[in-house]
Amino acid sequence: MLKKYIRIYIECIKISISTALTYRLNFLLDNFIMLVSNILFPLFTLLIYGSGAEFPNWSLYEVLLIQAVFTMSTGIANILFNGVLWATMRHIIEGSLEIVLIKPVDCLFFLTASTIEFSSIGLFLGGLVIFVVALPYIGPVSILMVLQFIVLFLSGVCVMMGISFIMAATSFKWVGNSRIPEIFESIKYFGRYPQNIFHKVISGFTSFIIPVAMVGYFPAASLLGKADATAFIAILPCFLFAMAGVFLFRHMIRLYEGVGG
Amino acid sequence: MNFLVKKFRVVKAVALVTYKEWSAYRTHSMVSIFVGPVYFIVQYFIWSVVYSGKTSLNGMELSQMLTYFGVTTLIGYLTMDFADWNLQMLVRTGKFLTFALRPIHHRFFALSQKIGHRVLGFLFEFLPCLFIFVFIFKINMRPANFGWAIISVALAFLMNLYLNYTIGMTAFWLVQAAGVRRVYLLLQSIFSGGLIPLVFFPGALQKFLLFLPFQYVSYVPAMVYIGRYTLAGVSMPIPQIVGLQAIAVAVTAIISEYIYRLSMKRFTGVGA
Repeated sequence: MLKKYIRIYIECIKISISTALTYRLNFLLDNFIMLVSNILFPLFTLLIYGSGAEFPNWSLYEVLLIQAVFTMSTGIANILFNGVLWATMRHIIEGSLEIVLIKPVDCLFFLTASTIEFSSIGLFLGGLVIFVVALPYIGPVSILMVLQFIVLFLSGVCVMMGISFIMAATSFKWVGNSRIPEIFESIKYFGRYPQNIFHKVISGFTSFIIPVAMVGYFPAASLLGKADATAFIAILPCFLFAMAGVFLFRHMIRLYEGVGG
Repeated sequence: MNFLVKKFRVVKAVALVTYKEWSAYRTHSMVSIFVGPVYFIVQYFIWSVVYSGKTSLNGMELSQMLTYFGVTTLIGYLTMDFADWNLQMLVRTGKFLTFALRPIHHRFFALSQKIGHRVLGFLFEFLPCLFIFVFIFKINMRPANFGWAIISVALAFLMNLYLNYTIGMTAFWLVQAAGVRRVYLLLQSIFSGGLIPLVFFPGALQKFLLFLPFQYVSYVPAMVYIGRYTLAGVSMPIPQIVGLQAIAVAVTAIISEYIYRLSMKRFTGVGA
């Protein structure tokens, strides 16, 4: 069973790469624009520090590191999960979800696998560039810190997965609303900045309820030696959040009634 | 006089139909009621800590900065535009032909559509967010001068349309001009002042921005709203900057018309 799913997933990756190679100039240009626009993303922070102001107790490069991690996580999540919302939305509008439902594989798995798209690799690389630029300016990094970073980063990717699935589930009811991602984009915005600048209620919300702090802040804090117990306690809500996304999507599938697509 | 009455009738008819068409998706507009205030909360906390121990940054106080972000958000709802996307789609699919045949300038049609679309934005985005900013966040959203603020926002409304329409016309040459659009939108989002007040940019860049059209879309109306305008060390009284904005809009309109005429010579209308 698992073997079959892995084989399907690998096939989907191959197809996605072939598609990207077919329109390679478009693919390269898209990625180049995305890379440039994401190197510009920390401009806001740069301008604040350039004007002589700062986030108290945070150096410029420490804040840039948070934003770099956030961008890398977004890049990976976009490659792996971003297509689910748009594919689901299209199927709901066109009434063609039945075609997916009659396939002998899990519907959510199939939608996720078949919509892998490498056009966000520029996003990941943009984040990586900022990450590499910021890294020499932070203190020494131990192996333990790197391990913590990997665990927290993967938890952050889980949160992004949960968000994608919840958005896709929402599109069952809120049909054809292309602004659904904006709602979650605005919530994710909290994860781009040091959490101690926010009110305790908000940072509690962004750590444990919709744990967007795990997307950028907590993994970066672990590399800076600033990760406290909260970061590790917040790992559990991240996995629960991802599971909630899966359950919500499955629930919406159960409620779904075909209308003759 | 007859000419004006006829024009008004066209605007009314197209705006009303557009309003009705998009009213069906009013909950989509209402996403802004959540998104706008959430972004504002983040800005509120960012600037509150950035200003800790400082009374002013680049000549702006904290209260002015918060008003600035509130105002740019609200102005965005009034001037939002997708004429570029729409025109590119019409050209690419060949549907533009049906507009080229009508006895009405397509840009005027686009303007009328935008009016209808933004009336909806006014009701479902602007007003709710204004109430949230004023009554929940307690931000001072009273313009320094109502008259100048309304004129400046109206000019920004036109400026955004003319600029976007001009970008949309690149489709007559490139057909698939999504790349141009993306680059333009990126530049506009940074240099219009939506990201951060333009006085935060390095001095040399500010001088350059003085001569670009982007500031008239967001930064100028926001500063007119607040009641004082400065960029690159140049301070202007409000009537003067609004006058300059009007000239910039007129120049953009003329350039847009010139490119439109070139486009019409180029358009072959195949595939409608």
